[in-house]
Order: sequence, then C-alpha cells, then structure tokens
Amino acid sequence: MTRASFLKWLIGSVAAIFVAGIMYPVLRFLKPPAAISGAIGQVVNIGPLSGFAAGQLTAVAVNGQPAAVQSLDGKYAVYSLICTHLGCVVEIAGDAFRCPCHGSDFSPTGAVTRGPATLPLPTYHSQTHSGSLLVGPIDLSRAAYPGWYKGEFS
Amino acid sequence: MSISADRLPQQTPSQARRRKPGIVGWVVNRLGLDDMMEDQHNRVVPRHATNYVYCFGGIAFVLFLILAATGVMLAVYYQPTPDTAYQSVLNISTHVEFGWYIRSIHRWSAGAMVLLVFVHMLRVFFTGAYKAPRELNWLTGVVLFVITLGFGFTGYLLPWDQKAYWATKVGTDIAGSVPWVGHFLLVSLRGGDQISAATLGRFFDLHVLVLPAIIVLFLLGHFWMIRRQGISGRL
Repeated sequence: MTRASFLKWLIGSVAAIFVAGIMYPVLRFLKPPAAISGAIGQVVNIGPLSGFAAGQLTAVAVNGQPAAVQSLDGKYAVYSLICTHLGCVVEIAGDAFRCPCHGSDFSPTGAVTRGPATLPLPTYHSQTHSGSLLVGPIDLSRAAYPGWYKGEFS
Repeated sequence: MSISADRLPQQTPSQARRRKPGIVGWVVNRLGLDDMMEDQHNRVVPRHATNYVYCFGGIAFVLFLILAATGVMLAVYYQPTPDTAYQSVLNISTHVEFGWYIRSIHRWSAGAMVLLVFVHMLRVFFTGAYKAPRELNWLTGVVLFVITLGFGFTGYLLPWDQKAYWATKVGTDIAGSVPWVGHFLLVSLRGGDQISAATLGRFFDLHVLVLPAIIVLFLLGHFWMIRRQGISGRL
C-alpha cells in the first residue's frame, strides 16, 4: 500500500464515520414511534397484558398519574383515577370506583352511580401492541372534562 | 452557402485537454464542470481575509443549512393546529427517537444564527466592506438579517405554549402600533383581530414556505455579488 492510497483510505474512513454519526440519529428520528390511532401525544408502554388479571381492575401509573386497567373479555380499558368532581384520587372498590373525598361512586364502566360527581371517569386512549398495552393521552372528547386532565402528558 | 469554421461551436482548450473517465466524468465532461471548478479553485483569498472574523458570514450560512435540514425533519411530526401543536412538540421532545436532539439542534442553531448574522454585520461595518462598489450587497445583507429575525419571530409561536402566545401577542401589537397601516399589519399577521388558529397557520406558512423561498433567493444574490466583486480590501 502506498502512502497516498493509505491516506485516501484513512480520510475516506473518517468521513464515513462522520456521515454515519450524522445519519444514525436522522434515520432513528424518521422511524415512526409507537402510536395509537386517533390520539396525538406521548404513548407509553405500561407493561405486558399478562399483568392485568381478567375481570379485575389493576392500579397503574400513567406518566405519574393514577389510573386503572380494566380487563374484560379480552378487551382493555384504562380509566383515570382522578375524580371528575374536584380532582381527588379515586379508589378501586371491587370492580367499580369510589371517591373517598365526597363519596362519588362510579360503575365498572366509569359512569356516575352516586353524586356529587356529574361526569363519568375519563379513559385513556389505549391499544394492545404485540402483547403489551400502549397508553396515550386521556380521551377528552367524551365530555367537557375539567382542566386538570389536560396536563403536560395527558 | 458555406458556414465558416469559426462559427461552429469550438472546443475550449480544457475540454480538449481533460476527458474525465467514469460515471462522474460522463456528467462533468458534458456540463463543462471542470472549467467551473477551475474558476472556483483559482480564486485567491486575500491575505488579510484569512482571519476568523471573516468567517462569521460563512458560519451563519452553515447554521442556515443545519436549520433547513433539522426543520424539514421536525416538520415530519409537527402539526400546526391549536389543538395539536403543543402536543406534537411534546411528542417530538419526549417520544420520537432523537426528537429532543433534532429539536435542540434546531433551537440552538436558530439562536446562534441570529447572533452570527449580527456579528457578521458588525464585521462588515467595521471593516468598511459596505462601501462602494458593495452597497448592493450590504442592502441584500440587511434584507437577510430581517428575514433571519422573521424566522425567529414566526418559529417562536409554533410550540403554541404560553411564552409563544404572549411573545406573538406583544410582537403583533407592536406591528399594530404603526401609524396609519398598523391595524392592517396586525390583522394581516394574525389573520384576524385575535391570535387564533389563523395566526398559527400563517406563521407556520411563513416559517416553512415563504421565508425559506425568499432567503434562498437573497442568499444566491449575496453570494453571487461576493464572487462578482471580490472580498473588500484591507483596512
């Protein structure tokens, strides 16, 4: 190998490393992230489906917010555990919900069965994806929900 | 009727002398790119201009190229509607792989470009490079500076957060305070009396379509005049 061809090879290699260093993040950036159809915003993977027992409510945290996964007949729904009345954290009571602050009761589908709350518990956009449950923002389209659901990551 | 030989296309000496092989050569030979590159390579940078303070304009242009590339990438995920703009920016920063990286490069390059364009202007001013015969290049430079600020102003609204909203409110209020045409300017910028979805659409349009088209035209003029007139003499 002559000195000239060695230098050419060396410069070419350094240039290739530079180009690869630029293109790697670019290509990763263009790869579509995990998404839920109809929902815009951050999507988090909250774990394998096996972690959510059938017919039960399982407490989880979505971006630090209290929530519950409901597994019914192979379908999954994720309810926010923040009360629509004044924003207390709702407790899981069997297959339904109860707010300890003012005694609002919610049915297993989140509907109000006893006041003072008037709006049903909101659900998160969610979707199963290769054995895991992906959770997106709260679905705010179902009712005129109070502002505390529109947090940074909701 | 005969055609004299000197009216036929003549081969230039360099065409006759250099025939590049290969695929690249095929293109180079047909477009006479050798001559063009020779012209570029034969230009000498004056001794007094081999100095870091003469680099500010070039650095600003490199930043422009970085901003164009990262901006095209951000536009893949950004959504210019009031309901989704903020979420889509958050999505880029927190969820898209390397989204924080691309957005940060765009953000920091934008600030740096404003700074570098300004410092470049100071260099041109204090070396007297704006003087005859280069007044026209100074004027295109002023336009380029204003366009750069326009990029900054319109881009600032796009995240659609509180800071963006109020900065745009203040900025468009200032336009509205111009005598006689103020209200017309304000309504033109906002697409109405209030900041709304129309404002976001207009600013997005300016930021990604209108201003890029104008800046490219003025950059070409700016660079062509540098080539045409050469770098100004020493102090």
